[in-house]
Amino acid sequence: MFKLDRRHFLASTASVAFLSALPNFTFATGSKTLRVAIGAETGNLDLLQNVSTLSSYTVVFDSLIQYGQGGALEPGLATTWKVADDGKSISFDLREGVTFSDGTGWDADAAEWNLKRWMGVVDFSWIGISAAYDSIVKDAPNKITIKLKQAVPVALLELTIVRPVRMLSPKAVGADGKQTAPIGTGPWIVEKYSSTETVLVRNDKYWGEKPAFSRMELKVVPDELARANALRAGELDVIGGDWVAPLSPRRAKALAADGMMVVAEPGTATTILGFSPKSAVMQDKAVRQAIFTGIDRAAVATVLFEGYADPTIDIFPTTVPTAGARKPVPVRDVAAAQAALTAGGWSGGGSGWTKNGKALEIDFLISEESFPGSRRIAEIIQGMLTEVGLKVNISSVDNATMHERRPAFKYDLTFFATYGAPYDPHGSLGASFETAADTGPDGKIYIADALDALIAKALETGGDARADAMQKVYDWLYDNVAACPLVVTKRLWAVNPKVKGFSLPATDYDLPFKGISLG
Amino acid sequence: MQIGKLPWAILAPAIIFVLIGVFAPLLMTHDTAHQDYGALLQGPSLSHWLGTDYLGRDMWSRIIGGARTSLVAMVFVLAAALFMGVVIGSLAGYIGGATELVLISAIDIMLALPSLIIALALIGVFSGENFAWISDYWKMILALTVAWWANYARMSRAVVVSELQQPYIEAARVMGASHLWIFTRHILPHVLGLVVVYASADAGALVLAIATLSFLGLGVAPPTPEWGQMLVDGMSYIEEYPSLVIIPGFALTLVVVSFNLMGEAFALQKVPRAVRGNFLRKRKAERAGEEIARASVEAHP
Repeated sequence: MFKLDRRHFLASTASVAFLSALPNFTFATGSKTLRVAIGAETGNLDLLQNVSTLSSYTVVFDSLIQYGQGGALEPGLATTWKVADDGKSISFDLREGVTFSDGTGWDADAAEWNLKRWMGVVDFSWIGISAAYDSIVKDAPNKITIKLKQAVPVALLELTIVRPVRMLSPKAVGADGKQTAPIGTGPWIVEKYSSTETVLVRNDKYWGEKPAFSRMELKVVPDELARANALRAGELDVIGGDWVAPLSPRRAKALAADGMMVVAEPGTATTILGFSPKSAVMQDKAVRQAIFTGIDRAAVATVLFEGYADPTIDIFPTTVPTAGARKPVPVRDVAAAQAALTAGGWSGGGSGWTKNGKALEIDFLISEESFPGSRRIAEIIQGMLTEVGLKVNISSVDNATMHERRPAFKYDLTFFATYGAPYDPHGSLGASFETAADTGPDGKIYIADALDALIAKALETGGDARADAMQKVYDWLYDNVAACPLVVTKRLWAVNPKVKGFSLPATDYDLPFKGISLG
Repeated sequence: MQIGKLPWAILAPAIIFVLIGVFAPLLMTHDTAHQDYGALLQGPSLSHWLGTDYLGRDMWSRIIGGARTSLVAMVFVLAAALFMGVVIGSLAGYIGGATELVLISAIDIMLALPSLIIALALIGVFSGENFAWISDYWKMILALTVAWWANYARMSRAVVVSELQQPYIEAARVMGASHLWIFTRHILPHVLGLVVVYASADAGALVLAIATLSFLGLGVAPPTPEWGQMLVDGMSYIEEYPSLVIIPGFALTLVVVSFNLMGEAFALQKVPRAVRGNFLRKRKAERAGEEIARASVEAHP
């Protein structure tokens, strides 16, 4: 039988203490590793499949053009580009001396091979430049021209999105043409990935400014509180980003109080309350107007977002291009909301409204799975609308039901969000407001024949006239109270103080590493 | 069962919960849905005895309202599940043959799956458009009822099968009693005697299931207060305002534990207890007295 005497006890305790300290020693010797939280595993980063999370593509794969801070178009694998006067061809001068991380050279052949994997392919017709694709001409070993059937004003912006536009090594596919490995020209190379982490090592052949540290570990931590505690404990260096590992305003505030560096900058996506265009109640403009006027957006931003959100009534924030002229956010006006209902033929007051003997009741569809935190926003709105006399019934459903009911417009009210940079404004307008676009389970914020015509016109208009055409869309949406924008949430990240030089990446689809040094 | 011998220390919390649920409107100091943005996340005060939540709603009133929500749902689910279980189980046991085989198979299938999983699946089904006319609250009650009856059915069948073997049932048949008479007068009291005791212990598990469904966002719809929902709402604030989680969590724990203990106490009342203590001394004294009396009679016949 095992006997635990004092000597054995002390030896065991010392061993345990040593083993528990090992992670710290590892941290000390591996200080050139940046550990970033991700909410879900990265997947295999297949550029043509919609299965991997969006946050990790941009560090491995480069695109011809990059989306810079504030929406500026910056050189990527193309150093310069020129759009023909008629908009039907775009020429690119390709960056020379670039190789993929497997040693394959980057040239016009590689560019053509990559572009032809998705341009003109039906599955990618949601991208304007793909739908309009005609041909590719190799003008020189490092120069190509994309020919289009018609002009696509947002073609250059579309070349900055996460996938499928980025460039894969032509050798990283199997005989069936399917991607076999994530081999790009980007600053990082995938060393390994699993369901718990993805390890990236610096690409020393990278053509741009190389990262100041050699290794980046993307740790899968699905729970937000666990992420925050790991940051406090020094087990993670960076958390945040809507598409990376979302950080809630409340948690950000708590982390700031604990000495973590919290970085908050104006966001690019708008949270919108959508009115079902097929709902009998919501087809009544007076009801939409009452809801629009009866919500205190400033209170929503302050109470639920701790000030890390800006109240708005515009569809897009100014952080995306051609977002249109700003409209002042109105102060909540219960009397005006009730007056709108009265003018619309409703009778009643604070205790309820009726029209033709039918009581006014609103079905508010929400899903915590689809949109975490939506129930609390719905509750505050329910409270505000109750004061107007609107009876709001919140239906909390699972993700599958939400995906069934939203495309079929089986609701009166529900939440939407615009895509944000680099997809907007053309992405959200084309997908969420155009009747013909297939958005699958995501549904539409609003559709109408008159709106379709305006959007089609705006999306095909380029040059100086584009802003005016877009403004007409925004004005129509506002005049018809077609949607109820609420807030633009700020982009939130929290960083361990030992991380120096942190700055927000250009979009929340990007991982932060540029400018970062580890102390 | 003598009232004086009931384990009142165990029963009291459960009874208090029921009384709070019944008299909730009298105990609430504020409207449970009233939002006050000027009084967010406040600590206990004279105006808000347990403080306020993230929308400035009174926590005391919401805890009291939550008790009523849980109590009403629990009573409906227990009553409906008991009715379903007793009817189906008794029919299976009394009729026997192919009917019993079919019903007992259905019971076994239901028992093979965790009740909460069945309830979740049913709520998913009820989320469809065809059930839009039912409120989320009643969908939850319906789903839990369907998920909960099988245990009572199995117990009911076992009691019925056992009682049918008894000579007094045979005697009743010989005397020409109808099936309905035999079942309602002789068998049902035995069935209910067992199943109701089990149900009293099950009440705690039901309160927990109701809270779990609300925790998952599939139970009671806002703004109705419910402890599970209050728990999940408080989770976002657990670091700075743990009372938002502790208060509903404590209420939930108290009710679940007290119902479990109550059910156990009821069950123990039905089990013959070993003779001990004062009762044993009293019996010994009585026995001794009887022996003395017998000896006296034998000595002087």
